[in-house]
Amino acid sequence: MADYQLIIIGGGLSGLAAGIRSARFGQKTLIVEGHSLPGGLNSYYYRQGYLLETGLHAMTNFAAQGSKHAPLNRLFRQLKLSRKKFITHEQLGSEVIFPQASLQFSNDFDFLCEEIARHFPASIDRFRAMAKEIDAYDPFAEVPWQSARNFLRDRLAEPLLEDMLLLPLMVYGNAEEHDMDLGQFAIMFRALFLEGFFRPQGTIKDLIDMLLEQYAQFKGELRFRAPVAAIMNKDGKVQGVRLENGEEITADAVLSTVGIPGTAQLSGWPLDIDEYIGRMTFMESISMLPKLHLPAERAGRTILFYSLKDELRYHRPAEPIDPSWGVICFPDNFQGLERQNDAPTQVRVTNAANYDLWQQAAADREQYRHLKEACGRQSVAAVSKILGNYTQGAIFQDSFTPMTIERFTEKCGGAVYGSPIKIKSGRTPWSNLFIAGTDQGYLGIVGSMLSGVTIVNQHLLT
Amino acid sequence: MTRDEIKDIILEIIEDIDEDADFDDLDADQPLRDQLDLDSMDFLDIVMELRKRYKLQIPEEDYPELATLTSCVNYLEPKLKDI
Repeated sequence: MADYQLIIIGGGLSGLAAGIRSARFGQKTLIVEGHSLPGGLNSYYYRQGYLLETGLHAMTNFAAQGSKHAPLNRLFRQLKLSRKKFITHEQLGSEVIFPQASLQFSNDFDFLCEEIARHFPASIDRFRAMAKEIDAYDPFAEVPWQSARNFLRDRLAEPLLEDMLLLPLMVYGNAEEHDMDLGQFAIMFRALFLEGFFRPQGTIKDLIDMLLEQYAQFKGELRFRAPVAAIMNKDGKVQGVRLENGEEITADAVLSTVGIPGTAQLSGWPLDIDEYIGRMTFMESISMLPKLHLPAERAGRTILFYSLKDELRYHRPAEPIDPSWGVICFPDNFQGLERQNDAPTQVRVTNAANYDLWQQAAADREQYRHLKEACGRQSVAAVSKILGNYTQGAIFQDSFTPMTIERFTEKCGGAVYGSPIKIKSGRTPWSNLFIAGTDQGYLGIVGSMLSGVTIVNQHLLT
Repeated sequence: MTRDEIKDIILEIIEDIDEDADFDDLDADQPLRDQLDLDSMDFLDIVMELRKRYKLQIPEEDYPELATLTSCVNYLEPKLKDI
């Protein structure tokens, strides 16, 4: 008899959610996590006494408690977590800023419609019709790839509005360059515009701890510092995993959340791995500022999506970073978040980055450090055009590069949104090996948890 | 197990799955899913919970038998009579 019914590789959000589902119904489950902390792409670390969240700007898919069919609430029921006890802080409001126009939006979809009516009066009716269409679209149906850009061009015929809508949706979840799959577009449109941003009470650590506790309640097992060296297979089925320390653990089934390239490397899956390594990666800078003086029109915003150029260029940059577009996030700007008067303000800026150039620089410590500093300055210079001189007197600054991302998440190429080619069914050549998480196709914190839940429901529970 | 006990168990399982479940106006002969606004994932969890608690295998073709509270009790009564 196998040691476990299910081994889950990766203790990130999709792995933890999958583990809870499996353990909830009495399956002997083991999660193996290579690092000492859980969370994967949405984890945390400590620096100079501050707890900093990697990945979390905001959670998407906000839904009030009563909306039974909203993804967030379905997720809570699936994990048997109390939505009533889960305290949420909605965003104050966000904005998409292009040189020609800017659009504000909030968790009230009508507000975005009003803004579009104001700036694109000729397009508002078409926009509302398109939103209705997206609302009814089933993004989880297994259909061939369809161009979101073609869809938008056809429905809106307004290139600037197309770019302005795509910037937030792409930067928060698109693994492809230039365009995105219509299914992904529909998922992100609901997540950001129809539902919206919120923060959980506390930090990502509190959310993760809630998941860990639930998993332990259901008698799920978890091992940290247990990196996997190989997924053992024989006679067309997988048998379990072999850890880097040589230990072999057997299981009836294995669920991998490390992504398609990583899973292929571990199992010997004959794929052209390069096709599954995403080209979109980022550099993020975090600043703690004693006092943040912003121009009036930028105050009280939760997230700013900016482009200093007229057109959105969502692709790997030719330079180490492209500071001309990106995301500015104020993690404190959520409703009901009390801050002590003298607490510093956090600002996070994310820009697209070129993994290869960072990898080259990383061969030499000095070169890497210089590049970090130079790109940090470039980013600040660009963002200062939007926020003014915002980094004055910064008491803390840190940044992570594509190399940092790759080191801590094992995502090849630091590709936070994973492979441009997703496998919606979660299936692999082996009947008892599955994938979940970013490369199965559901993005975001809520999305990746739903991915873990869905794959376990579809393949491992019935 | 008596029919009343079975009924209580079903309601308890549903409450476990949905903390907002309200049984005040529940009509035992009308579909549960419509009255309680449960979706297919919730319904599956009822089936899974019954399997976990009583080692009951409920094949997919039998799911329609679980449509109303009364039909649930009818279906489960012979299977749970020795518990």
